[in-house]
Amino acid sequence: MAQTQTQTRRPCSSILDSLGEEIVRIIAPVSICMFLVVILVSVLNTESPFDASVASIATIAYTETTSDSTWDKFLGALLNSLAFVVVVTVVTFVLVLLFYFRCTRFLKLYMAFSAFVVLGFLGGEVSLFLIRHFSTPLDCVTFFLLLCNFAVVGVLAVFMSKMAIFVTQGYLVVIGMLVAYFFTMLPEWTTWAMLVAMALYDLAAVLLPIGPLRLLVELAISRDEEIPALVYEARPVNHGNLDPRDVVQRRLWRDRRVESSTHYSNLNANSDSDGANLVMESASSSANLNGNSNNNTASSGSYGYRNLVSVEEGRVQGTTDSDISVPLIDRGRNVLIGSLEEGASSENLLLEGIGLGSSGAIKLGLGDFIFYSVLVGRAAMYDFMTVYACYLAIIAGLGITLMLLALYQKALPALPVSIALGLLFYFLTRLLLEVFVVQCSLNLLLF
Amino acid sequence: MEALQSQSQSNNPNPIPIRNSLPSSMPLWPTIDGPLGLSEEESVSYARRFYNFGFALLPLLWAVNCFYFWPVLRHSDSFPRIRPYVVRSGIGFAVFATLLCSWALTFSIGGERLFGPVWDQLVMYNLADRLGLTSWS
Repeated sequence: MAQTQTQTRRPCSSILDSLGEEIVRIIAPVSICMFLVVILVSVLNTESPFDASVASIATIAYTETTSDSTWDKFLGALLNSLAFVVVVTVVTFVLVLLFYFRCTRFLKLYMAFSAFVVLGFLGGEVSLFLIRHFSTPLDCVTFFLLLCNFAVVGVLAVFMSKMAIFVTQGYLVVIGMLVAYFFTMLPEWTTWAMLVAMALYDLAAVLLPIGPLRLLVELAISRDEEIPALVYEARPVNHGNLDPRDVVQRRLWRDRRVESSTHYSNLNANSDSDGANLVMESASSSANLNGNSNNNTASSGSYGYRNLVSVEEGRVQGTTDSDISVPLIDRGRNVLIGSLEEGASSENLLLEGIGLGSSGAIKLGLGDFIFYSVLVGRAAMYDFMTVYACYLAIIAGLGITLMLLALYQKALPALPVSIALGLLFYFLTRLLLEVFVVQCSLNLLLF
Repeated sequence: MEALQSQSQSNNPNPIPIRNSLPSSMPLWPTIDGPLGLSEEESVSYARRFYNFGFALLPLLWAVNCFYFWPVLRHSDSFPRIRPYVVRSGIGFAVFATLLCSWALTFSIGGERLFGPVWDQLVMYNLADRLGLTSWS
């Protein structure tokens, strides 16, 4: 159906142009984030793997040392990941409560603060590692100036409603990369256990009726507000012959077929902080990736020259919101920047699963970026073969999730499928493929 | 000024369905995002705010200002209200970048020969080791 629609508008374009473009616009930043983490890991971890693990909330229950037996490590990893998931659940419920009591401003400020901490402190740490590794003769004045600039502009870009889309997206990718690099420094068994635990948590929290993320989403829908969260929204795909001058205001809609239509007509079109507009264009874009919006909807009139029938018909569907948030915490690494340390500084990044933005563009939560990159980063610590295998598995998982999103038209957890495939392929590669490739190379047969 | 303003307002989105009647040298949208970005009125306040905040030792904000309002910078007679801020941001960024680069290059190339023992105290990796900035636990 989408095919015929696009063909009536631009007979020379196909579904690949619209659907493919949308998918590429979400896969590209995920790939870039993973690539950067792999580079960081391979550059900075060439020295001997150090025993000292990062003290963070993920190692709260058990700190792994190389001298422990396998069973101890396994138990320890399970305990760690369990503790982590419990903390994340508690924080998500706190978030739901805060959102319920409309402390939105506090939430936004707190998230700006945590973004500043990530960009400033984690970014500073990573750049110090790099400076030390390459022995760059940089002086402290320049360094602090650049770091400060970077952090402040980053916070402005992510939380101010309107800044260059490219800058905002770039900073979101950088934040994901920094947090993911931090998580790859955890002990190995803990990392794998945590990935599994987070995938299961994501599945439960989004799909179960008592799940905190689902509650958050339903609250956001019932109030028509947007959840303050860190989420990557792809640029909406422009379909040719729509004159942007005809549509100055942003029109967002949501088709509430289940609820009464009076609700629908009461809401006005209000441009909000997404920075993406022109829903009309997205109406003609790929079939079912359209429609959902958690912002205010518009009355169904005045749509320029968009075909209203196609809009009502099948494109705009679903009643649930697109935003899910998974708070990611990491508690005070005892990183000691002396007096700047905040003992219990917990970063609370609100991250969302996969969903549809107000313009129909695909939204992917930053937590997904982070955990995909953690998986690939861990794979990079072993060998590049596992990196390739895991990368392909994760992209395949993301593609499957997008298809499911198109099918079910509601917010979906983006972690489970990709993490499952990624883990499967990591262990298969490590156990089976590597032996095969090495033997083939040694016998000058292949590779 | 009034005449210029009215001229700039005629550049605003108006309901003419045919787009190619407009001369190509006049950009419609002041931001680099085009229709997804800001309208002209909002752009003035944003450009002004970026310009003012850049004075707090934030040259990157000036650079972002220039990048964001690139169409304004490129077409020299468009958006007369926004243009002064963007041009001044560009100049500010260029000056600041020159100063910073020259200082950084002097520091790294001159090294100890130029600065003496102070160099060791100022260079970042020594400072990081001394303050323990990169120790994790």
